[in-house]
Amino acid sequence: MPSARPLRKYGRWGRPDTELVETPTEVPKRTVPPVPEGQPPRPSRRSLHALDWFVFFLADAQMGFGPLIAVYLTSQKWTQGDIGLVLTAGSLIALVGQMPGGALVDAARSERFLSGFALMGIAVSAVVIGVWPFFAAVLAAKVLHSAASCVLGPAIGAISLGLVGHEAVAERLGRNARFASIGAALAAGAMGAAGYLISNQSVFFVTAALCVPTLVSLWLIGAGQVDPERAHGGKAAPHPGDPMATFRGLLRNRPLMIFAGCVALFHLANAAMLPLTASVITMRSSEWAAALVGACILAPQLLVAALAPWVGRQAVVRGRLPLLLLGFGVLPVRGVLLAFVQSPEMLVAVQLLDGISAAVLGVLVPLTVADVTRGTGHFNLAQGVVGTAVGIGASFSTTLAGYAWDYFGMVPAFLMLAAIATVGFFTVFARMPETRGLPPQGNEMHRAALFSRSSSAYRRGSDQASGRGLNRRR
Amino acid sequence: MRLVQVHRLMQVVAVVGAVLVLRPFMAGALAANAAPCQATVDTWRLAQSVDQPATTAPQAPATDAGQEAPSITGDGTPATVIDDREVEGILGKSVRSSAGEDMGKIIDVIVKRDGQVRAAVIDFGGFLGVGSRKIAVDWGALSFPPDGAVDHVILNLTRDQVRLAPEYRPGEPLVVLGAANPEQIKPENPPQPENIPPEK
Repeated sequence: MPSARPLRKYGRWGRPDTELVETPTEVPKRTVPPVPEGQPPRPSRRSLHALDWFVFFLADAQMGFGPLIAVYLTSQKWTQGDIGLVLTAGSLIALVGQMPGGALVDAARSERFLSGFALMGIAVSAVVIGVWPFFAAVLAAKVLHSAASCVLGPAIGAISLGLVGHEAVAERLGRNARFASIGAALAAGAMGAAGYLISNQSVFFVTAALCVPTLVSLWLIGAGQVDPERAHGGKAAPHPGDPMATFRGLLRNRPLMIFAGCVALFHLANAAMLPLTASVITMRSSEWAAALVGACILAPQLLVAALAPWVGRQAVVRGRLPLLLLGFGVLPVRGVLLAFVQSPEMLVAVQLLDGISAAVLGVLVPLTVADVTRGTGHFNLAQGVVGTAVGIGASFSTTLAGYAWDYFGMVPAFLMLAAIATVGFFTVFARMPETRGLPPQGNEMHRAALFSRSSSAYRRGSDQASGRGLNRRR
Repeated sequence: MRLVQVHRLMQVVAVVGAVLVLRPFMAGALAANAAPCQATVDTWRLAQSVDQPATTAPQAPATDAGQEAPSITGDGTPATVIDDREVEGILGKSVRSSAGEDMGKIIDVIVKRDGQVRAAVIDFGGFLGVGSRKIAVDWGALSFPPDGAVDHVILNLTRDQVRLAPEYRPGEPLVVLGAANPEQIKPENPPQPENIPPEK
């Protein structure tokens, strides 16, 4: 029995055992009266619509910092080396900042305030890039933008969860994904037009201007309705005095780690597909190349807009796992088709499959993280962990696919990506537990619930990790 | 779009080293490029450098203390003033085909060891920076508007000729599109304008 074992100093979630707590130095102050247990939160209609628009305009504003920045800096007579340095710095910050960003959102008493602050950072960095295209200024602006994005990414999930609670968050995330992809598609079109008709520089002023409606929408989200405790996925344990304890707790969260691994595999296979396809289209089509590449970018976004709310509903009705299998299963098919389809127009059609995966991942990544961190108070740190996995997978993807393309050719490159995607699919199939309806964590009941649907390898790993909880079931 | 950004990043990181290595050569290229202009345009030269051959003027600063010291009065640096309508920086300039098709932007200039400009690297195709390919084209295949603002450069190749070219990769043998001299270009592409100087 567990009581016979020596007690660890800290519990599973970094919570000190009750005897060891002298006085919690910091009692979280609530700005919002707690919603009584069992009673769903009732966000106002205005707040929900404001969140729609917040997500929409934020996706708009973020669009300007995509590949367009390289086009702009090239037209400003930057050498490719300098552009590479700036983009590398930005991506490194975006990668290592994920977890600190998530932790910051978890620590924030007001998600709205923090998001507003980060938005200002994005607006400032857009203006700086537009006005002073010099190395130091752009480097600083890019770093600022990446840091702000690390906060804004989890903040959207946090505000959604804080507004509607766990019971309704699946539909909410579906709606978020719809508005984000409509925003991204419109912004891509509008910024492409602005870059073509006015100047590449104007794109950054448009970006900065878009931060204004984003801020207004953020402000329109009812201040009292985003419950910080809900937004963090529960009430965090008092700080145990060991900053790594929380982190270790997350690393011991098996479903979260399995999910992060699956998502990393997904992006390792997925991230290079669009650029490779676009290159292939550029090679195969002369007149319509730009339009077809544009369609490759925009068409999946529109499909996401159409599908995401359905995904959100089905995640409640059918559970998370079937949808994850759908999203991960489409990817190998896409890789194989991209390898063998010849006509550029058909490549665009194959690229539509990206919309299915993107809709599923867009909704289910934050949703699964919310499921598995329920009750821990570390929803956003966990989002950061998964975000890091995404970043690692995506960075290696292009390098890997580039080598494969160089040394073996186009078809093997796509087939390699498809093979990685297949591994991802089977990992989900064999290892990923259904996370719908997981009870709040941090107690033995949760462990029992988790292990009822687990494979033997899963159980073995958990034994090593904790040595507790399971023994009761043996 | 973040993923695409990461793609650019990894791609461009690979170019970093090569560009850093090429930089000294590029400085030489610009100097070599500027030199022929001095023969044709009305130049105004500083008094100190009158005796100096025109072609060495831009490179003179490092050596003037030596054999050229007698011809220079004072310690001024030789310099040439060129009409700004006659010269133009070309990095980042957009490229069109002679039929007016968009052919991308000039992102790099390739020079040989003797300082001759050999090729331009253009960033070709794609949309919003996605799916573009870097392709080296012969310097002789580029022509520049004879007067007025240089808002774009004309490439005497068509999109169909460029799109299948192998991508430019620093550190690997360079595939330059278009012939080295006009004699080789003309038979392949008869309709092209005949005035393609090997070097301008």
